[in-house]
Amino acid sequence: MSRVKDLVIVGNGMATCRLLDELVSRRGHEQYRIQVVGEEPGGAYNRVQLSKVLGGAEPDAVVTKPLAWYTKHGIALHSERRVDFLDSKARSVVLEGGEPLRYDIAVLATGSQPIVPPLEGMHDEDGNLKSGVFVYRTLDDCVRMRSFARAGDTAVVLGGGLLGLEAAKVLGDRGLHVTVVHLGHGLMNTQLDFVGGEMLRRQIEQNGLFVRTGRTLETIVGDEYVTGVQLDDGEHLSADLVVLACGVRPRVEVAKKSKIPVNKGILVNDTLATQTPGVYAIGECTEHAGVTYGLVAPAWEQAAVLADLLTGTGPLARYHGTKLYSRLKVAGVEVASLGVIEPSLDSDRVIQVIEERQMSYRKLIVRGSKLIGAQFVGDVKNAPALIQSFDRDETLPEDPLESLCNFSASGTATSASRMICNCNQITETSVREAIAAGATSVELVVERTRAGSGCGSCRGELSRLVEKHAVRPLPLSA
Amino acid sequence: MSVSTAAPPVSFTGETRTHCPYCAFQCGMHLEPDALAHPTVRPDPDFPVNRGKMCIKGFNSAALLTNSSRVTSPLLRTARGSLAPVSWDEAFGFVGEKMRAVREKYGNDALGAFGSGALTNEKVYLLGKLVRVAFRSRNVDYNGRYCMASAAAGQNRVFGVDRGMPFPVSDVGETETLVLWGVNTADTMPPFLEWIHEQQRRGGRLIVVDPRRTETARLGQLHLQLRPGTDLALANGLLALAWDLELVDRDYLERRTNGFDEVRRSLSSYEPARVERITGVPLGDMKATVEALSRTSKSMLLSGRGAEQQSKGSDTVVALAQLMLALGKVGFPASGYGTVTGQANGQGGREHGQKADQLPGYRSIESDADRALFAKIWGVPVDAIPRKGKSAFEMLDALGTDEGARSLVVFGSNLPVASPDSQRIEARLRALDLLVVCDSFLNETTEFAHVVLPTKQWAEEDGTVTNLEGRVILRRQVAEAPPGPRGDIEIMERLAAELGVDSGFGYASTEAVFDEFRRATSGSRADYAGITYERLNRESGVFWPCPDESHPGTPRLFAERFFFPDGKARFEVVHHRAAGEEPDEDYPLYFTTGRYREHYNSGAQTRLVDKLTAVRPEPKLQIHPRLATELGVEDGEEIEVESRRARVIFTAEVTTDIRPDTLFAPFHWGGRKAANALTFPALDPTSRMPEFKICAVRARAVRLRVVPSA
Repeated sequence: MSRVKDLVIVGNGMATCRLLDELVSRRGHEQYRIQVVGEEPGGAYNRVQLSKVLGGAEPDAVVTKPLAWYTKHGIALHSERRVDFLDSKARSVVLEGGEPLRYDIAVLATGSQPIVPPLEGMHDEDGNLKSGVFVYRTLDDCVRMRSFARAGDTAVVLGGGLLGLEAAKVLGDRGLHVTVVHLGHGLMNTQLDFVGGEMLRRQIEQNGLFVRTGRTLETIVGDEYVTGVQLDDGEHLSADLVVLACGVRPRVEVAKKSKIPVNKGILVNDTLATQTPGVYAIGECTEHAGVTYGLVAPAWEQAAVLADLLTGTGPLARYHGTKLYSRLKVAGVEVASLGVIEPSLDSDRVIQVIEERQMSYRKLIVRGSKLIGAQFVGDVKNAPALIQSFDRDETLPEDPLESLCNFSASGTATSASRMICNCNQITETSVREAIAAGATSVELVVERTRAGSGCGSCRGELSRLVEKHAVRPLPLSA
Repeated sequence: MSVSTAAPPVSFTGETRTHCPYCAFQCGMHLEPDALAHPTVRPDPDFPVNRGKMCIKGFNSAALLTNSSRVTSPLLRTARGSLAPVSWDEAFGFVGEKMRAVREKYGNDALGAFGSGALTNEKVYLLGKLVRVAFRSRNVDYNGRYCMASAAAGQNRVFGVDRGMPFPVSDVGETETLVLWGVNTADTMPPFLEWIHEQQRRGGRLIVVDPRRTETARLGQLHLQLRPGTDLALANGLLALAWDLELVDRDYLERRTNGFDEVRRSLSSYEPARVERITGVPLGDMKATVEALSRTSKSMLLSGRGAEQQSKGSDTVVALAQLMLALGKVGFPASGYGTVTGQANGQGGREHGQKADQLPGYRSIESDADRALFAKIWGVPVDAIPRKGKSAFEMLDALGTDEGARSLVVFGSNLPVASPDSQRIEARLRALDLLVVCDSFLNETTEFAHVVLPTKQWAEEDGTVTNLEGRVILRRQVAEAPPGPRGDIEIMERLAAELGVDSGFGYASTEAVFDEFRRATSGSRADYAGITYERLNRESGVFWPCPDESHPGTPRLFAERFFFPDGKARFEVVHHRAAGEEPDEDYPLYFTTGRYREHYNSGAQTRLVDKLTAVRPEPKLQIHPRLATELGVEDGEEIEVESRRARVIFTAEVTTDIRPDTLFAPFHWGGRKAANALTFPALDPTSRMPEFKICAVRARAVRLRVVPSA
C-alpha cells in the first residue's frame, strides 16, 4: 500500500473549513494525514455571520467546526499558532518558533487582513489600538466590541462598504448613536453605482443611522481612550467607539517569505497551484487570472476544485473564476448586485427603474442580448431569477425590462378555449362568459357553469379567472 | 388478436363497496349495474378519505371493466411475430418449459420477476415468496423504485420507519401552515384537494414549492418556483434560516432528536446569496416560508415525486424531515412531515418483500435473524433464501446479460413507458429469452412479450391495499371477471408448480394469503398481525402498526417516539450537489416530467378510456413564451426535444406556468411520444431511484420556415 501523504493547510478560516468538508466528503482524510495551522483560538467559524456575535449571540452559534470535529476526522489542528514560512526544499511548513511540519502538499489559505489606515491618534503609547478603536474582522474583535459598547454610546464607523454598514446596523440596534463615514461618493461603491448608493443612504438614514459620504477621518481624538474624531473637512464628531471597516487585502506575507510568486495576491492557475511544486492556495489570499476576491463564494468553488484534484476524484477539475453575486440586507435594506456596475462600451444599454417613493432602484446593464450587470436596492425579488439567467448566459427578452417581472407575469400564452373543468368539460371561454355576465365569485361561477362541481380540482383556476376578469382587469399585453 | 369486440353485460356479486384502481388515495366507491348491466361508479360518501369526492379518472374507471380491447385468452408469440390465442395449459406449458430451460442453462438468478405498486398486499407478499422460494432467484424488484424509494429511504434514515403519511389525511384540513413540496395533487390526486380546500376555508396558509406554476400552486398564497434539482439546497437553506432567525425548537430537539448540532454547523454554505443563486427563490419568500412553518402551532410539510425523483432524492427527504423536526413540529396532531404516496398500493407495495433487498414487514434479506424467520415461515432452509438483488433500473439494464435475468415475469408494470432512458430498456427486453406479461390489456410491454397472461381487474377480486396514510383497506370484489382471465395469485401458484414447487403455494382463498402474511409481519415495523378481513369489513380501514386483534391501530405514528432503539429521530449532514446530468452548452435546458389529471402513470389503463383521451389525447410540451420566441415556436406547433439519448417531437403548449430554462412533458405515453425516452437514469445512491425529474435537453422548432425567394 502506498504511503499516506501529509497535507498541511495554512490558515483555519472559511476557505479551509470548506476545503476540509470537500476533502472529507471525498474520503480525502483517509488519503492524507491532514494538519491545519490557525492563528485564532478554537475551530473554524462562519465569518459572514460575525454580526450575530456583535449583536449578542453566543460565539458558539457561528462556530462551524468545534474541536471535536477535527478529532473525529483525524485532522490535527494547531490553533493559536502562526506560520513563519514554507521551506520548499525540506518540504516543511515552519511555524513561528521554528517547529517544522513536513508536507507533501501544502495549501495556503491565509485569507485577508483588514486595511487599517494610518490615522493620527489611533494608537496608545504601547503601539496598540487606543481603547475604543476597533477593527471589525475576527470573532475576538466582535466579542470585545460587544462588551465595550453600551446603549447611549456614540459610534463612528469608518467605511460604508458591506462590513461597515453591517457593524453600524448592529451597533444601532444595540442603542448607539452611529455615524458612518465613507470616503466614496456613494455607499457600497463596489456593488452599487452612485444612484444605488444614494438610494441606500436615504433608507439607512431613515432607519436611524447617520451617513457622511465623500469624507474620511484624519484624527482620532482622546488621550487614554477615544473621545471623538476629526473629519478631513475639519468637523469634529464626538465618539466613544471608532470602528474601522475599510476593506481587506490578501494576506501574502508567508507566501512572500517563502518565495512563492505574489502580485496583489498569491498567484494561482486554474488548478489553484502556485508556481512552487506541491504548494496550492485558495480563498481571499489568492489572485487568479488577475482577480482577487473579497467574498466567500469564490473560496467555496476553489475548495471544491482543489479537493477534486488532490483526491483524484476529478483530476480534470479546473477553476475558471467566479461571477460575483452580492446579496445583502444592509442596515435593514435589501441589496443585490451582480456583474459590472457601470457600462464600458458605447453600445452597452443601461436600463434604470427608479421609484423615489418606494425607495427602490433597479438597474440592468445589457450588452447585445446578454446581461452583464444588475443592481437592486429595496425591491430585490427578481434578483435570483436574474442571477440564474446571468450564470447561464441566457438571451434576455427582446425588451429587457421584461426580465424584471416574474416568469409567470410576462408574455402572453393562454388560449381562451382551453378546458378548465375536465369533469364537466367546461372551457375557459364559457367561464369567462359567465364572469362577464356577472358571476363575480367562484361560487357563482360553479353554480352557473357547473365548472368545479365534480372533483373540484379546478377551483384554484376558477378563482384566478374570477380575479383576473371580474375584479381587477389587467391591461392587454402586446 | 384475442380481444372481444362487444361489451357484454357484467355479473355482479351483490357487494357494491370497493375502491378506485388508480392512485394511493384509494377513493371509496360503489360500483353498481346500470340498465345494461354495465358498472357505473358512485363515490362513497361514508369513506373518510374521499368523503364522496372523486376525480375524472375514478368516475370513469368502470369503463375498464367492459373495455373491448381487454385480453381474455392467453397469448403466445408466433413464429411470424404476432400474438396468438392459446389455452391456459398451453401457455403455462410453454412458460414452464422455457423457465426450466433458462434455469438449467444460466442458473437460478436468471429467473426474474418485476412487480408493482398496483398489486394488492397479498400479491406483493406472494410475488416475493415466489421468486425467493420457487425461482430461488435474487432478481425481483418493482416499479416503486420509480416512485416511493427515496421517500422510503429518507424517512427510514430520519425516523427509523417509513409510513408515507404518519397521520390521517384529515389532518391536512386542520393544519394552519401547509407546505406542498414537489407535490401537484390537483393533477395527480384531485380528491386530495378537498382537504386543502378545507384547510383554506379555515384560514390556513398554503405554500407550494414547484418549478412549475401548477394548479396546486395556484391554490396557494405563496409559490416558490425553484429551479429543477435544487430542492435540497432550498431545504438546507430554510434550515439555515431557521437557525439564523432563532426559530428552532431547542427543547424539542433535546428531548426527541439526536445529531442536530453537527447539522446546523454544516449549514454555513447555505447563506442566502448562494441559496438564491442555486434555487432562484427570493430570500423574502424563503423567510416567509420558514416563519409561517414555525409560527403556527400546527404546520405540515408534504413532499412528492418532484423532490424525490432525483439522484439526491433520499437526502432531500432527509433535509425536509429535518426541517420539520428542527421547528419542533413532528409528532403533534395536524403537524409534521409526510410524503404523498403515488400508486394505489404504493405503501403496502414497499413493505412486503417484492423489493430486491427486502423481506415482508420491512425486514431485511441480508439480516440473519430475518432470514431465519422467513426460512421457518416458508419451510425452506435458510441458505435457500437468496441474498439481495439489483434495484429496478439496474435489474432491467442487465436483462439478457450474464449479470442479469434471462427470463422475466411482469405483473402490473409497463416498463418501456415507466423507465428512464426507455429506449435502452426496450433493447434489454428484446434480449430476453422469455418475457411473460401478466396484464388485462395489451400495452407497450406486451409488444416485447413472448407470452401474455390475461388477469382479473381490480373490482373482480378481493385484496387489501395500504393507502397513502398507512391505512389498510379491503378492496372488495364487486363484479365477476369475464371468462378467460385469471387472478395473479392463481398465476403465481401455477408458476411455482411449473418449477416443481407445490408446497406453500396452494391457498384456499386470498384471505388465506393475507392471514399467512399478516402473521409473518408480526413484531415488524409494519406490523399487520392484528388486522383481519373481518375487521376491514367492519371498519374504514386500520392503520398499521396493529400488533394484535384488540389493538385499535396507529393513526399517528410519532406521537410518543420514533423508531430507533432510543426512540429519538436522527439528524444527519446532507449536502446539495449537481444532478446526474446538468444543462451545458450543447444541451442547455432542463427537462422535467410529471402527470396529467386525466391519465395515470404509464397510461396503460387510462389511454383506453375514451372520456379521458378525448380531453387529453396526447402529451404537450410546456414551454415559456420567452424561450418559445427565442426558438421561433408558437403555441400548438411541433417542437423537437433532444437529449443525449433520444429525440421526441411534442406539440408546444406555450405557457408562463413554466420557468424559461425548463421544459415539461407528461410521461403517460410510450413510443414516439415517450417523455421517458429523454430522461437520464442517474440513480440515488441510497434508494436506487432514477432521476426522472432532471435531465439536459435542447429544443428546436420543427416547422419549416418559408424563406421568400430573392
